[in-house]
Amino acid sequence: MMFKKKMLVSVIAVWAVLCIAQAAPAAPPAGFDDNEIRIGQWGPQTGPAAPWGSVARGSKLLFDIVNEEGGINGRKIKYFIRDDMYNPAQTVGVVKELVERQGVFAFVGGVGAACGMAVKDYLAANKIPWVGPSAADQDFIQPLNPYLFAVYPLYRDEANVLAQYIVEKLNMKKVGMLYQNDAYGKDGLEGAKERLATYKMSLVAEIPVEPTEKDLASQILRLKNSGAEAVLMFVNPTAAVIALKTAANVGFKPQWISSNTLSDYPLMFKISGGLWEGVITGAFGEIPDSTHPLMVKYREAAKRLNPQERWGTFYSAGILFADPLVEALKKAGRNLSTEAVMKALNSIKDYQTIGPKINWTEKQHQGTDSVMIQKCGPNASYIQLQGWTTNDLATWKKK
Amino acid sequence: MPVGQLLVEGLAIGACYGLFATAVFWLAFVITMLFSILLGVLIEFLFLRPAKHPSILGMIVITLGAEMFLMGLASWKWGAEQKFFSLPLNPSVTYEPVKGMIINNWAIAVFAVTACIMLFLYIFFKYTKLGVAMRATQQNKHAAKIMGIRTERVFSFAWGFSSLIGAVAGMFFASRATLDPAFMMEPFLRAFAAAVLGGLMSIPGVIIGGALMGLIENFFGYYWPHWKPIIAFIVIILVLCLRPSGLFAKHYVKKV
Repeated sequence: MMFKKKMLVSVIAVWAVLCIAQAAPAAPPAGFDDNEIRIGQWGPQTGPAAPWGSVARGSKLLFDIVNEEGGINGRKIKYFIRDDMYNPAQTVGVVKELVERQGVFAFVGGVGAACGMAVKDYLAANKIPWVGPSAADQDFIQPLNPYLFAVYPLYRDEANVLAQYIVEKLNMKKVGMLYQNDAYGKDGLEGAKERLATYKMSLVAEIPVEPTEKDLASQILRLKNSGAEAVLMFVNPTAAVIALKTAANVGFKPQWISSNTLSDYPLMFKISGGLWEGVITGAFGEIPDSTHPLMVKYREAAKRLNPQERWGTFYSAGILFADPLVEALKKAGRNLSTEAVMKALNSIKDYQTIGPKINWTEKQHQGTDSVMIQKCGPNASYIQLQGWTTNDLATWKKK
Repeated sequence: MPVGQLLVEGLAIGACYGLFATAVFWLAFVITMLFSILLGVLIEFLFLRPAKHPSILGMIVITLGAEMFLMGLASWKWGAEQKFFSLPLNPSVTYEPVKGMIINNWAIAVFAVTACIMLFLYIFFKYTKLGVAMRATQQNKHAAKIMGIRTERVFSFAWGFSSLIGAVAGMFFASRATLDPAFMMEPFLRAFAAAVLGGLMSIPGVIIGGALMGLIENFFGYYWPHWKPIIAFIVIILVLCLRPSGLFAKHYVKKV
């Protein structure tokens, strides 16, 4: 008897929840009012990808500066950071919360290709612009997603530019590649092959790495015996450290070249025990101690507004991912609407702050094909090797 | 007890954290070792002892749960990001005894330490009273209890010692990669597979299983890098189909 009663209560409870859940999705609250514009970002503040969490805090610095200077057309920016722990399932949760409870006008940044993929269509369905995802993914831009505006250079373009640098500037003919066996690594692999093909060259070794692998001895030996003078790495920080340590163990000393994902030299220098010195990487922003006037301004502001934060590449990346949205909000004027901001974003042309030059049109939302090339010097210092370099082979531009 | 020994591989990693950053290496080393023993004993006491008559599978699940709990604890206390870790062995010092065979200090230390531990375990299980008691407990807990062996104490000791070995393995691994709370998860799976390959109940079997596993992986990994992550597991499935108790286990079938 007791059991039946409990059963009945629980059935009713479940039914009630289902009914309410059915009724709930009304139109989400507006993303702005007369006094404020609400902007959100997800990013790992805890968990395995926490070092990339500084991107979201970097965007906060930009919005704090904008607010200090009086806001945008009489409105202040109210900014929300939500921790998704680099877990796409959690990204969906925090993004829904911001859209349906807080009412968010636009999103900026957002670390992780998989996290972004999980919410891309949801944001588009709710007509919420998303500017400067902190990840590169072909699926972000092809087919065109009208609400997604990419700043981050594609890994394929970056590998292209890096391979060109290896052949033309370093004069190295034997190039090996160590790539993560997923979209990130494979995009890099394609780019490198594409560029080498123009010199009638091919990679002397193409070695895949699973993201969790802890023993790379056979892979490194393979690279060593291939006679590679330069090894291009599109892997994660741990795999890169294992690769460098293993190579040191077997006396293999090529020129290591890596994608911009490993361009946080102080971090890489620290966790590799100094082996990172001499590694060349791509970069999507100015070096941290750059004398670029905007970099000086942001650096000073960071000291004042967020003194405990380390001034590094990922923190300043948070600024450059969000910059174009601020520009578009200014252009849209006091009479704010999503349509007005979309129009402003679609007409951004040769816009450059501390990142690459951004161009968006109604048909093309990949903002750039350019990276810089930098090198890790003694004590994790940054050495600028080459300024913004475009990829003349970029396939997405031809379409 | 090698089951426990392999299961704990990686459990004591939390102990390595922080200590190394703050103290002189050898002092930290000793403290870590002591801490890992305590941790192993504590895990047995808190998680395994309350479980009544756990099967091997049940024990594995409990240990995995404990491992996840400790990983969470470590990332809460010390952060989840990768940290640098090194043993006082210069990785760049290499020797080439035979042309084409380069060996470095790290590998020499691994071989030496493994040999010492194996020798110690061999003597311990064969000649000491406690070692014999442990073997007895493993074969038949109830009979051992009736014979006056304090089986709880035996379990505590087994876990403490397993944990110590796990910490040593963890330190070697961390010095070759980076240190973060989850970094032993992958080696742990391989260690477990190696144990299954060699035979869970035989110490030489486990070591030979591990060596075979490393060799198979690296030889295949060299010629077919795409297959490296899975080849070991394919071999294990084959072995288990042909010899279910592992390559070197003395076949022990319970008769009903």
